[in-house]
Amino acid sequence: MTPRLFELMLKAAGTTVVISVASIGIGLLIGILVCAARLSPRPWLRWPAGLFVSFFRGVPLLVQLLLIYNLLPAIGLTVPSVVAALIGLSLCTAAYQAENLRGGFTSVPRGLLEAADMVGLSPWQQFRRIRAPIALRLTVPALVNEAILILKASSLISVVGVIELTRTAQNLAASTYEPLLFYAVAGGLYLAINWLVAAGGSLAERALRRGRLA
Amino acid sequence: MSFDVSVILGALPAILSGLQITLGIWLASTAMGAVLGFVVAALRHFGPQPLALALRLAVEVLRGTPFLVQIFLLYFGGPFIGLSLDPVPAGLLGLSLYAAAYFSEIVRAGFAAVPRGHVEAAQCVGLSQAQIVRRILVPEMTMLVLPQAVNMAVILLKETAVLSIIAVPEATATISAIGSQQYAFVEALFLLAVIYWGLVEACGRAGQALECRLSKFRFA
Amino acid sequence: MNKRLFVQITLGLGLMMTTPMMAQAQDALARVKAAGVLKVGTETAFAPFDFIDAAGDHAGFNVDAFAEVGKELGVTIKWVELPWDGVLPALEAGQFNMVAGPATITKARLERYRFLSPVAEATVAILRRAKDDAIKKPEDIAGKTVGAGKATAQLAQLKTFAATLPRPVEAREYPAFNEAYADLAAGRIAAVANSLPNIAFVASKQPGTFAVVLPPFGQKSYFGYIGTKKPDDQPLLDAVQAALVKIKADGRMKKMQEKWFGTAFDTPDVAPEPSF
Repeated sequence: MTPRLFELMLKAAGTTVVISVASIGIGLLIGILVCAARLSPRPWLRWPAGLFVSFFRGVPLLVQLLLIYNLLPAIGLTVPSVVAALIGLSLCTAAYQAENLRGGFTSVPRGLLEAADMVGLSPWQQFRRIRAPIALRLTVPALVNEAILILKASSLISVVGVIELTRTAQNLAASTYEPLLFYAVAGGLYLAINWLVAAGGSLAERALRRGRLA
Repeated sequence: MSFDVSVILGALPAILSGLQITLGIWLASTAMGAVLGFVVAALRHFGPQPLALALRLAVEVLRGTPFLVQIFLLYFGGPFIGLSLDPVPAGLLGLSLYAAAYFSEIVRAGFAAVPRGHVEAAQCVGLSQAQIVRRILVPEMTMLVLPQAVNMAVILLKETAVLSIIAVPEATATISAIGSQQYAFVEALFLLAVIYWGLVEACGRAGQALECRLSKFRFA
Repeated sequence: MNKRLFVQITLGLGLMMTTPMMAQAQDALARVKAAGVLKVGTETAFAPFDFIDAAGDHAGFNVDAFAEVGKELGVTIKWVELPWDGVLPALEAGQFNMVAGPATITKARLERYRFLSPVAEATVAILRRAKDDAIKKPEDIAGKTVGAGKATAQLAQLKTFAATLPRPVEAREYPAFNEAYADLAAGRIAAVANSLPNIAFVASKQPGTFAVVLPPFGQKSYFGYIGTKKPDDQPLLDAVQAALVKIKADGRMKKMQEKWFGTAFDTPDVAPEPSF
């Protein structure tokens, strides 16, 4: 592998990271909204949120991406490749993150909330001081897991025209007739990225564990 | 944008054969992955140190890289090291290994979650090591890991769609090919979405039902 | 690079809001000229038309030909690279102005799309392993497994030809021809069916691995670039067609064909009625 080809692989890994990180961020925001809707007492919020989660967890990402790229233009939203990939990855991870968050919120011990009631905390105070911090702490490992899953899932976004790490490896494997080398290097780069994400996650977990309540 | 149901009906036999391959590969690789994952977890716990380390490395690599890259490496890289598999066996092997890595972690966490007290109690009443594994650890662990195992099965079902990229004639490949031949792109995409969504929902429901049925065995 | 990606994302989001409004204001030609960019969808696994070369660059006949078209129209070319079976749906969805490919001009496609002036012959032939003497003429693929690209006219030609043979041929469908070539080299399939210019190029690059089986088995056909039949796109396609005809007339096309195919084709200005 010439230095220039390795540089191309690194650049492609950069694309993979940027799109994945952006999707995880956007997905977290959407996930929080969807989670709130799923925990809402109002059925007209709960029901569509449940459908959202079911759909985006039930359909392969490959199909979701093609639906977004080829069908959104029919309603006047011609999204370019990068945006289609962002939307697809964000919505997909949002569905999973909403479920993780919901798991976090529902496992806040009831006793803590009862105690908070007793000392006269308002529902908003309870959310901000007790439920949100505990749920966040409980979901950090799941968030790290999700980040790794999305980094790996981003290997599919070339179906909507984004040339990322896997696609670059595929192109170069074909042009140099060295599939073993290029796919192994791609795999190594994914491993390195995911190892960094996992290490960052452990740091965050340790930081959050200080002042642990539940 | 138009929607033509006759395209789907006309190609029904081809669609069904694709579906059959999807289901076959899915069920086989889930079963093989679960068994292999169990063996890997056991070897990592009871096996010699170097083997445990090597298995851990393999699991990390399989969990840290995209399935697509793994299948490319196996299918297109394989012939360079004398391993030339046809698409379906390559898909089966690749997906089973991928599944085994995840299942081994699920099983490991499950064993770790079985309360020590149960094992100690079993030792007190004089059960042998083998009996403890068979009568205490495995049944309790199975109950504990059932939700994650079902979740993993669902993930594997969706991963089978990736096999279309190495020319496995499964549901995604067949249906999108029909869509291309007949210029029925929209119909094909909708059909794919509905099929997978339905299968995933059914699998999730079946998992819940199984959990209910088995809940009487739950001790931990 | 990553800065560029961010700009792309922001621009993309911006474009998303504005395109529907612009679409009503002018036709495609005016929009392309105003933006100074012609968006072309293609698949980069179709050497020598479109591929990533050993240095990692996007290269091929299409790149050269569209550079000339861009000069004629006074615009730059923006390539959108997709798997082939995703290219035509995305064209219909309006993701780009036209498709390079090129695609074989067939009756079914003519009904649905507008083809521009043919750029090469597309007649299908067989590629085999150089050391495999079992296939001496196209008919020898009877009873064997033959690969071709998914959603391609070459695959359809292969199936039609196979139906005339005494023993059934298993046609294996690949996302791109590159994967089919790799499988042929690995010995998983006996042959690949693709257009003569493509397999001649592949065989010339790896003479020890591949060989072309002559004569071609397919019916004579041509490769052309594709646009939609939407009225809005017609002025733009007319302009590209005029540019292509001009490029042919002044000898530039012949030079590019010789560079990439090793031979020049006599391609008519307007595609003749296809036979299939």
